[in-house]
Parts: sequence; structure tokens; C-alpha cells
Amino acid sequence: MIPDDLFDLVSYRVHPEAHITLDQKVCEGCDHRACTFSCPARCYTWSEERGKVDFAYEACLECGTCLLVCDRGALDWHYPVGGYGVRFRLT
Amino acid sequence: MSSSAATRGAASFDAIVVGAGPAGTSAALGLAQAGAKVLLLERGEYPGQKNMFGGMMAYGPVPEQLIPDFWERAPWERAVTKRILSIAGTGSTTSLAFQARSGSDAPAVGAGSTSDKGLTGFTMFRPQFDRWYAEQAVAAGVTLLTGCRAEGLMGADGAVWGVRVAGPDDIIKAPLVIACDGTLSLLAKEAGLHKGFKPEQVALGVRAVYEMTEEEIDERWGLSGREGATQEFLGCTEGVRGGGFIYTQTDALSVGLVFHLDSLQEHKIPPYELLERFLKSDPVAPLLKGARMVEYSAHLLPEAGVPMMPKLSRAGLLVAGDAAGFCYTNGLTQEGMNLAMASGVIAAKMGAQALAAGDFSAGRLAKYKAELKKSFAYRDLSTWGGAIDFMHHDRLFTVYPQMISALMEDLYRSDGTPKQRILRLARRAVSGRVPVRRMLADLLEVGRGYL
Repeated sequence: MIPDDLFDLVSYRVHPEAHITLDQKVCEGCDHRACTFSCPARCYTWSEERGKVDFAYEACLECGTCLLVCDRGALDWHYPVGGYGVRFRLT
Repeated sequence: MSSSAATRGAASFDAIVVGAGPAGTSAALGLAQAGAKVLLLERGEYPGQKNMFGGMMAYGPVPEQLIPDFWERAPWERAVTKRILSIAGTGSTTSLAFQARSGSDAPAVGAGSTSDKGLTGFTMFRPQFDRWYAEQAVAAGVTLLTGCRAEGLMGADGAVWGVRVAGPDDIIKAPLVIACDGTLSLLAKEAGLHKGFKPEQVALGVRAVYEMTEEEIDERWGLSGREGATQEFLGCTEGVRGGGFIYTQTDALSVGLVFHLDSLQEHKIPPYELLERFLKSDPVAPLLKGARMVEYSAHLLPEAGVPMMPKLSRAGLLVAGDAAGFCYTNGLTQEGMNLAMASGVIAAKMGAQALAAGDFSAGRLAKYKAELKKSFAYRDLSTWGGAIDFMHHDRLFTVYPQMISALMEDLYRSDGTPKQRILRLARRAVSGRVPVRRMLADLLEVGRGYL
């Protein structure tokens, strides 16, 4: 399937600390969960089992989509520490 | 170089430019050429590592103001002499191709020949281009600090006097800061110049790079020498407002989609799934046959023109590039890099004047906006305002491409029944899709936007 291939092609230098953090309490009250289908890196997934949004900052492309689609203010959003994060080679 | 190396020595600068993209590097280079001591901050390990665009920079004179032989030296991939617009329907695709007369007769196509009117732009890779461009700034005396994230502004609630970098103690002073920190424009937001953007004001671009031999690309698009082609697609986004593109690099293709973020949200289809369907679609798949995907990227771009533009200055601070909204598409063409550079050049000019006068007050720096308003960059954003509005109608991306397909299918079909005139065919293509009155109103709006 293409999406998995896409994500495997991106290179990163991952910082041990997340550059974006979620307030799960706010996410619990969200009825649209736009982050789960708008993020181009599939960083946000809804876990039915645990009833919460799972977030993997490691795959972030640093585009800012989540910051704009989250109208609940659940995100503490920063770019990664200098020298970390996504490394585009041919973009 | 680590960020502490520059800050511990209590270094101070005439100006700090945040972000080594086209706007930031232009601003830094322009200021250095005017004799200023400039620090250029970049959060990537090298300039261009975080930057993404479709694939083509418009051919224009702006960068030649800073580097006279810019187009001869810049690391571009192909000189674009062919532009194809493809409108995809269910059963067929209709294309319009622009082909410059030059091209194969001129082997050095684009290399600085401003007389080459048929040449519309250059394809390139941003990690290569932005890195080279920043090297030109360094050669002119700019101090480039990479791997350094700007944490915030000093004096954000009054006159800006510096940038905070790694932690609360790492502060770099300068009487002038130029924020070229990209679409999200976080520094300008901190300074109260805007309140954050809404999904309807931005577009999301997703892109895959494919490897393909130079010969194969030449053959598929009918190119020779260093000629390049761009192909844009309408009607290939499953009803999401947006479009697709293929840009030919030397031995690679940049293939992707750009969507209005609010429309993507409404349709609830993940962008990578739309990209997958686009890559496998009838008009696109044959062009990619045999090519190997090598990279994926995504980025936001400002899309709402002048109405989304933040305030562009305050005491000690100027905003340029994507951060100031300098990027547009009108449906037929799109520009960003050269507009960003134009705003950076003007920021440098106004910054140098402020340095010479020793005056960084809000009043003096407000002249930046007045100067921008005289530039083609601002005027283009303003000129295409109507088209930018029109691009927010769903019909343009759904019914109209289908109608054009239906009309062309009828026109070319010979099925043994008598042919009908175009108007009658058009009426048939329209029927049931969109009320005639609605279509006339849309046509009028298109006319107002483009003509």
C-alpha cells in the first residue's frame, strides 16, 4: 500500500522529547477529531480501544496542519529543537 | 556551529533574520550588501532542509537585484518551456499545452538570457537551492547559524530588540529583527501582528519525488537539452478544492497535490490517500510508469492573499515571505518564491534605511508596507484577489471538469448520428449538473477575477 511506502521514505533526526504535546482531556471532548484525518504524516490516530487520540510526534513533517485544524486549543505546538526533526533531501 | 558559540561572546548584530528560506536569505543578503552586520538563523541542519514547494520558481528579475548573474549560477534543474493544464473527468482528460518557441534551438536556455520570453520558470530542489542561496549571503558577510530555533522575540510587547534562541538565557541582541519563519508566522503572532490563521486561509501541499532517467523524462514530455515541463491537473482531488501537479526535474519528477485545508477537513479524506489515488489515476499513472518513489513531504502555504496578510511591522520588527502571506495561486498559475524574495529585498532596503537613520520606531518601519504596496509582489496578490475568491467554489473542482470532459467526448465522438453545434453540446453537458443561471453567475465571477 502506498501510504506506508510514503512514510518510510522520510528521514528524521528524532529528539527524545516531543515538540508538540496534547492535552488528552481536551481531546476527549472533541467531536470532530480533524487531526486524525488531516495530518499528512498520520501522526494522530483515534484508538477506539483506549478511547483517546494516540499521537506519534516522531513522524511529524512540521507542516502545522494540526495546529490550524485543532479549534479546541489542545495542542502545545512548537517546531522541534534546532537541528532535529524532519530532514528533506529532495524537496 | 552551536547556538551558544554565537551568543556567549555577547555578539550583537545590526539585524537578525529568522529563517534562511528565499525571503530570509534575500533580506540578509540585501542588508549585508548595504554594510550591515547580519545574523541569519535557521532551525534546519542546513538551509532548505525544512523547506518544501511544488517544484518551480518563476523566472523573474528579482534575484538579479542581489546577484546579477543569479540565473547562470543558481542550481536549477530544468528551464521550463512547456506548461500543460489537464482537466480530468471520469472518462477522459482534456489538456491545454503552452509550448515556448525557443527551447531546443537554444542549448543554454534560461542561462541569464532575460530576452527569452518563452521561458517561464526553473524547476529545482529546495535543499540544494536554499543552501546555495544562503552560501551567497555568507560570502557577502552574513553570519549563518544553522540548527538554531528561534524561541521567541525579546521585547515582543514593545520595541523588539532581539531573539531568544536555545533557552531563557540565550539572547541575541539586534535593533532590527526580520521574521521570515514561514507560513505559520509564529514570531509575528507572538508580536501581536496576527491572531493565528484559519484552515480556510491556507493550503496543504503533499508531494512525492520520483526518480526517472533524464532520457525518459525528455521522451515522455517531448523535451531536449535542459528544457523542462510542468503539468497541472484539475478535477483529480475527489471533490476536495485543490489541484495536482507534476514538475520535471533533471532526472526526477515532483508529483503532488495542493488542497484548501478547510475543504480537506470537510471531506475527511486523509491527504496521503488522495495522493495515492492521484498517483494511480488514469491521466497520471502512465506518466509515472517505471519511476521509483524516493521521498515524501508536506507543507502549508498561505492561500488567502491580501485579506490574510498580518500587520507587517512594529517597532524593531519586519515580516517577510510566507510569514507575510506572499504566495498565491489563481488556478492558472502560482507563485511564491519570487514574491518571497521580493518582500525580502524590500525588507532589506527599508531595514538598511532604518539602520542608517538609527530609527527603528513603529512609524519608520511602517514605511515597509507602503514600499511593498508599490511592488509587483503585493500588486499581484491584490490583482488576483477575485480569482483567489473564486478558487473557493467547490464547483470548479467537481462539476466543471466533468462538464468539460462530457463536452469534449461529445465533440470527438462519431457515432453515426448527425453532429450538433457546440452550444447544443455544451447545453447537454451542463444539463442536470448545474443550473444555467448559476453557471452564468460563475462565468461572470471568473471573468471579473481573470479579465
